[in-house]
Amino acid sequence: MRKNNIFSRKTLALPYAIFMILFVVIPLFLIVMYAFTNSDGKFTLDNFRSFFSGGHNINTLMFSIFIGMANTAICLLLGYPAAYILAKKNMGFGKATVLLFVMPMWINFVLRTAATRDLLFAIGISGGEHPYFATMIGMVYNYLPFVILPLYTTMTKMDLSLIEASYDLGANKVQTFFKTVIPMTMPGIASAATMVFMPTMSSYVISDVMGERKISLIGNSIQLYFDQGLWNLGSLVALIMLIIMAFGALCTDSDGKEDARGGLW
Amino acid sequence: MKKISTIILSVILCLSYVLCLFWCFSETPESKEDELVLKVCNWQDYIDEGKDDDGTKIKDSVMEMWEKDYYNRTGKKVRVQYDTFETNETMLNTLRTGRSDYDLVCPSDYVIQKMINATINGDDESIAVEKYDISKMPNYTKNVSPYIADLFEKNDWTEYAVPYMWGTVGFLYNPEAVSEEDISTWDFFWNTDYKNKMTCKDVSRDAYVVGSLYVHREELKEVNLKYKNGEITAEELQKIVNDAANDTCGENIAKVEKALTDMKENIYGFEVDSGKTDIVSGKIAANLAWSGDAVYAMDLAEEEDGKELAFVIPEEGSTVWFDGWVMPKGANCELAQDFVDFLCKPEIAVLNMDYIGYTSAVAGDDIFDLVCENYEEEEGEYEYDLTYFFAGTLSPDKYTEDGRVIVRTNTLGRQLTTQYPSLDEVARCGIMEDFGDRNEAVLEMWTKVKSNNVTVLSYIMMTALILVAGYMLISSIRRKLKKKKMRR
Repeated sequence: MRKNNIFSRKTLALPYAIFMILFVVIPLFLIVMYAFTNSDGKFTLDNFRSFFSGGHNINTLMFSIFIGMANTAICLLLGYPAAYILAKKNMGFGKATVLLFVMPMWINFVLRTAATRDLLFAIGISGGEHPYFATMIGMVYNYLPFVILPLYTTMTKMDLSLIEASYDLGANKVQTFFKTVIPMTMPGIASAATMVFMPTMSSYVISDVMGERKISLIGNSIQLYFDQGLWNLGSLVALIMLIIMAFGALCTDSDGKEDARGGLW
Repeated sequence: MKKISTIILSVILCLSYVLCLFWCFSETPESKEDELVLKVCNWQDYIDEGKDDDGTKIKDSVMEMWEKDYYNRTGKKVRVQYDTFETNETMLNTLRTGRSDYDLVCPSDYVIQKMINATINGDDESIAVEKYDISKMPNYTKNVSPYIADLFEKNDWTEYAVPYMWGTVGFLYNPEAVSEEDISTWDFFWNTDYKNKMTCKDVSRDAYVVGSLYVHREELKEVNLKYKNGEITAEELQKIVNDAANDTCGENIAKVEKALTDMKENIYGFEVDSGKTDIVSGKIAANLAWSGDAVYAMDLAEEEDGKELAFVIPEEGSTVWFDGWVMPKGANCELAQDFVDFLCKPEIAVLNMDYIGYTSAVAGDDIFDLVCENYEEEEGEYEYDLTYFFAGTLSPDKYTEDGRVIVRTNTLGRQLTTQYPSLDEVARCGIMEDFGDRNEAVLEMWTKVKSNNVTVLSYIMMTALILVAGYMLISSIRRKLKKKKMRR
C-alpha cells in the first residue's frame, strides 16, 4: 500500500493530541503546580499543612466519603432488584420500562433538583428541618439511573443456562442468587459503584439545593476556595480528590477485565 | 471503499479543525479604526438594558443613550463593550489574570477598599485603580446625595470611586408570621421560637458581620440607648457599630464561630438567591436581605398574592453597602469618566433605579419625583424626612417651608423606608470593610461553621461497608485464583 502522508494516522491524530494536551495535560499540570506553590509562586508545602492541620477539612473529606458510600449502597440496594426485574424478559417489562427509569436523566439536572426540593417541602421533608435526609433523597434520585443502566446491561447479557445449572445441582433460590447471579453481575456492580461514588463525593449542587446549604461536601470546599481567590489551597483539595478517585478507579478496574463491562449505553 | 471513506472522514476532520480555529479567531468583534471602545464590566442585570420583563428590547439601553449623547457632543463615535460578572471575587480573579482590559468595573464596598489600598500601597498592581478628575464630572458633583458624598469623603474614597447603588442589610420578614419585637434584634436568628423559619446569606462576609454584631449585642444596645438620649453623636455611634461589625481579632472570630454554629442549628438554611422567592412562597418567614432585594421581594409578594412583607434594620445596628465605579489601571479615564458622569444625571439614574429596583446614590429632582410618585400618599399621617439624602440637590419648590424634604406616607417599614432608611437608621449602620490579611482566618472560621460533623454512627456504617466490599473483593480474587489452579 502506498503511504499517504497527509492522511497518515499520525497527522490525523494531531488534533486529538493537541486537544488532550490543551484541556487535560496542561490543566492537570497546573493543578499540581498550584497545589505545591504559594500565592507568590514559590514552592511550599504550607497548603498541605493548612489542609491537614485544621480538623474541619479532614472532617469534610470523611463526611463526603461517607455520603458517597451511603449513596452507593442505597442506590445498589434499590437498583439491583429493579434491574433484575427489568432484565427478566418473561416478566413483561420491555425497553419502555427501562426508558421510564432513564427518562428523568433527560431533564436538566438543576431544574430536576430544584423541583425535588419543592416536592419534598410539600410532603413535609424540608431540607431545612432534615438536611441529611433530604440530601440523601436527592442524591439517590439523581444517581439511581446510573446504577440501573449498567446492571441492566450486564443482566441481559447474563447466561441463563448457568442459573438453571445451579438449580440442577441442587442449589436453592437464595444460594443461586448469591453464588451465580451476583458473581455474574459483578462487573456491572463495579461499574455502577464507580459511576455513583465518585460523582457523589465531588458534587455540590445537590447538597446545596437539597440540604439548604447546611450540608457541605468536599466539592463545596473547592468551590469556596477558588471563589475567594485561594487558588493554591483549592488546587490542593482538588488534587487530593483526584488521588482518591484514581485510587478508586484502580480498585474497581482490577477485576472484571475479562468480562465485557456493562457500560452506560 | 474503505480508502474513500477514510479520505472523506479525514477531510471532514481537517475542515472542522480549520473551521474551529477560524471561529476562535473571528469571535473578537472587528473594531473600526475611527471608533472608540469603552469596556465596562458590571453586575448582571445592574443597568437599564432597555428590555421589558420578557427580555425583548423595547428601547435604547443606557449604554446606547450615552453613545448617541457622546457623538452629539463630540462628533466622535464610541461603542460600549458591556460584560457582566456574578460575584465580586470572580471579577477580582478576572482582573488578577491581567488579561482583561476593562475601563470600568463596578465592585462592592470592601472590594473598592481593597483595590484602593492596593493602589496606595502598590503591593498588587493587577487590581490597582486610576484616579478620577472630579472637576470634569459636573453631573456627579451636582447630583450625588450629600449623605453618600460625605461617606466617601470620610473614608478618602472620593478620588478613586464613584458610587452607583447603595442600601442596607436587614431582615425581610412576613409580619403575619413574625412579631415585630422579635425581629428587631439580631437575637432573632438564635430565637428558638422561630426554629427553621429563617435563612441567612451563604456569604462568609455577610454571615460574619451578623455574627459579630450579635456577639457585641449588649454593648451595642447600650450605645444605641445613649444615642437616643443624646449622650453621643451619630458619628460616634457609627464608629462603634463599624468597629463591632469589622472586629476580626482572634478572640472575636472564635466567639463568632460559636455563635454561627449555634445559628446554623436554628435557621432553615443558607441561601444566596433563593431567599426572596422562598419568602414569597411562604417556605420561610424571614431572611437576611440586602435592601434592594427586599424591595424586589415586597413587590413580588404584592403582585403574586397580595402578601405584605416588611423590612427592618435591627436595633443593634447593621451595615450600609454600596457598589461603585472604579477604573482599573490602564483604563481610558477620559471616556470612563464621561460615562460615569452620564450615569449620574438624575434622568438616567431614574431609568436604572426603575429597572433594577435598587436605590441610586444619585439624588435630584427626577429621583425625588420617582419616590413621590411611587410611595407618596396625600393623606399620609407620617412626615417621612429624607432631608439628609436629598438636601442641596433639589429645585427650590421641592423643599418644605422650613427647608426639609418630606414624603407623606401611611406605611412605614415597607418599600419607601427600605429604599431610603431614615437618618436614625443609617446612624446605626457601619460599613463592611475589607478584612485584609484577616480574610483567610474568617474564611477558615466559615468553612468550620459550614462543615458537618461525622458522627460515630456514620463511622460504624463506613467500616461495615468497607468490610463488606473488602470481603467481596477478596472472595472474588480467591475464586479467580481457584479457577487458575484448576486450569493448570
